[in-house]
Amino acid sequence: METLKLSALPEQSKQQPINHGRFEAYVDNGGTVMAVAGKDYCVIAGDTRMSDGGYGIQTRHYTKVFQLTNKCVLATSGMQADTIALQKRLKLMLETYQKEHGKPMSTPAIAQFLSNTLYYKRFFPYYTFNLVAGVDEKGEGWIWTYDAVGSHERVKYSSQGSGNQLVIPLLDNQVAKRNQQIIQGNGDVSCDQVVSFVKDAITSAGERDIYTGDFADIVVVDKDGVRWEKFELKLD
Amino acid sequence: MSFEHINFPVFGQVDYFGKQSQQQLQPQQQYTPSHGGKKNTLDPIVTGTSIIAIKYDKGVVMGSDMLLSYGSLARFNSIQRMTKFGGNTIIGASGEYSDFQSITTTLNELVTDDHCMDDGSRLSPEEIWNYLARILYNQRNKGNPLWNTCVVIGYQGGKSFLGKVDLVGTCFKEDIVTCGYGSHIALPLLRKARDDNPNMNLEQAKKLIEDCLRVLFYRDARSSKKIQIAVAGEQGIDISGPIELETYNWNSGEAAVKNFSQV
Amino acid sequence: MFLTRSEYDRGVNTFSPEGRLFQVEYALEAIKLGIGVQCEEGVVLAVEKRLTSPLLEPSSIQKVVEIDYHLICALSGLTADSRTIIDHARIETQNHRFNYDEPMGVESCVQSICDLALRFGENRSSGEERMSRPFGVALLIAGVDEKGPSLYYSDPSGTFTQFNAKAIGAGSEGAQTTLQEKYSKTLTLQECQKLALTTLKQVMEEAITTTNVEIAVITKAEGKFKIYDKEELAAVIATLTE
Repeated sequence: METLKLSALPEQSKQQPINHGRFEAYVDNGGTVMAVAGKDYCVIAGDTRMSDGGYGIQTRHYTKVFQLTNKCVLATSGMQADTIALQKRLKLMLETYQKEHGKPMSTPAIAQFLSNTLYYKRFFPYYTFNLVAGVDEKGEGWIWTYDAVGSHERVKYSSQGSGNQLVIPLLDNQVAKRNQQIIQGNGDVSCDQVVSFVKDAITSAGERDIYTGDFADIVVVDKDGVRWEKFELKLD
Repeated sequence: MSFEHINFPVFGQVDYFGKQSQQQLQPQQQYTPSHGGKKNTLDPIVTGTSIIAIKYDKGVVMGSDMLLSYGSLARFNSIQRMTKFGGNTIIGASGEYSDFQSITTTLNELVTDDHCMDDGSRLSPEEIWNYLARILYNQRNKGNPLWNTCVVIGYQGGKSFLGKVDLVGTCFKEDIVTCGYGSHIALPLLRKARDDNPNMNLEQAKKLIEDCLRVLFYRDARSSKKIQIAVAGEQGIDISGPIELETYNWNSGEAAVKNFSQV
Repeated sequence: MFLTRSEYDRGVNTFSPEGRLFQVEYALEAIKLGIGVQCEEGVVLAVEKRLTSPLLEPSSIQKVVEIDYHLICALSGLTADSRTIIDHARIETQNHRFNYDEPMGVESCVQSICDLALRFGENRSSGEERMSRPFGVALLIAGVDEKGPSLYYSDPSGTFTQFNAKAIGAGSEGAQTTLQEKYSKTLTLQECQKLALTTLKQVMEEAITTTNVEIAVITKAEGKFKIYDKEELAAVIATLTE
């Protein structure tokens, strides 16, 4: 027969000690990034809000888009501390590559290298969701879209981050012309059109996603290099 | 030397019936994962509360109270939570105070090395901030964080600096930086004040920080009214002596606590 | 007495008073003949196979080897040493493909080979293998990358140089002179082939046959190398007598 035990704490909590704000190694700082590739250009948009993991806004001016080369940028949402570490690491490796091989790393090479970099931390991942956008050696625009551990795909448009779910259907419909009965034009759109569309998309994400807002960086990459533009979003 | 047999008193865990000392043979409850006897911080013990800082037209002002808490106990009531590093930078820290002391030691080594270079170049506040961010990020990668949120202010070469780093390595520069309860209570007040008066001067900024610390004292149970104000501006960097905040007069009625200066 | 070679020719870590490393120089002398010629269209490598016995099976000697699709290498000297180098180069080029999803640049590959060649006499930490002497092999590395076709020469000292046409190994002085006289940047790949082979023929003691030479080409158009088989060799040799 089992004896009756007198205990101050229920059995359950004896197994797991009470934790006072246990250390969480990961924080999601939110934010939305998206990119659309055209024939000879890429347009990248990313908001500049950085949340504290909850309802708080830490800063309204944290830019999520990072220029890697003259032909390639990296847009990252997720955890800011990991993003900074990833950016620093890529920057270092890009400089090493330039010195070793006497040329800047090509966009597809960067795409492959980022995948490897993420996968090497498979069991303690960078909590980052990336888009690599740029033009390849032929001058054609492409996007590479990743998960946190390096799975990737080369696509013509993509989005990542807290507003991803809101933006993706819009891109499917407007860029890939999915679910449209009557499709107008041949699908070739000008860079200016894409810029204005991308502004609408990120504004819409800002309307519904609390982690997206403040400002947006609109970045255009083409054969002439990388151009930046600041765009206002709601501060609420 | 093994410490495995010792039951460390752990804050927040009340051993009502002395169970732990009776059940020596049971595997000890793990409050901290150990790697060959090495213990990691999974809980802050002696803590400081909010630090708040704002830029004014020609510099930065930072404010903090001087209380260190041990859980809900107001343990030490006259501790400076802001430290100078070199001639251009001040760092204020909330969170585990012993971790901040460790950070202080590390950063002082950096500053001393820089001084010994004797090359006329001095570490800028931004460089110190960046280095601090790497220290904190590396510690979090080891699963052994330095449990602090640090606010870095500075002034060098006509430029003011204000940045923040937290225990996972999140780091950014901003015109207004707060942490802890400050982010809930002081941040909206500071943002409003700055929107209303974007080019505030030093006196206005100091007053604003003081007002915010007063509001924090009213609402944050882990704060005190003994505060310090640090300034980084054209005239260099300075941390004020202790300031007793003027607050509501609690001394009404005979039963009221007469001497409340310890709070 | 210190000026005699024997005082300084044992270690690879001691320079002679004239600033020479004799071990390296001995290694340089261990080289047999190879020729490389580069043009707009691609690169040709031609190497002599010294068949020391009629009983020797010619196909068992390979003097032109693949590093990657776009990189080949002709060797001359201690062929056994080259295996270490080729292994290294193959790993480097495959690593490059793994890391960057692109073929490695020719110069980068040559650089990495020379980094290895230069590691002789280094004090390595325990566990790592130690090189006791320089590699006794010289290489002609031919390849194509985004800059077009190129030909590199690397020697046992770990130095590398780019050439339009280069002869290496025993009797290479005469061959190099011939190449200098006859080379022009406007040569076609066919002409390069012929030039390489005639030059080789001049220096060789025996007559050229399909068994005692090896030819490989790598073209800009295809970006891939080809080592000639017996029939193709015969066809090229036939053009010499025209």
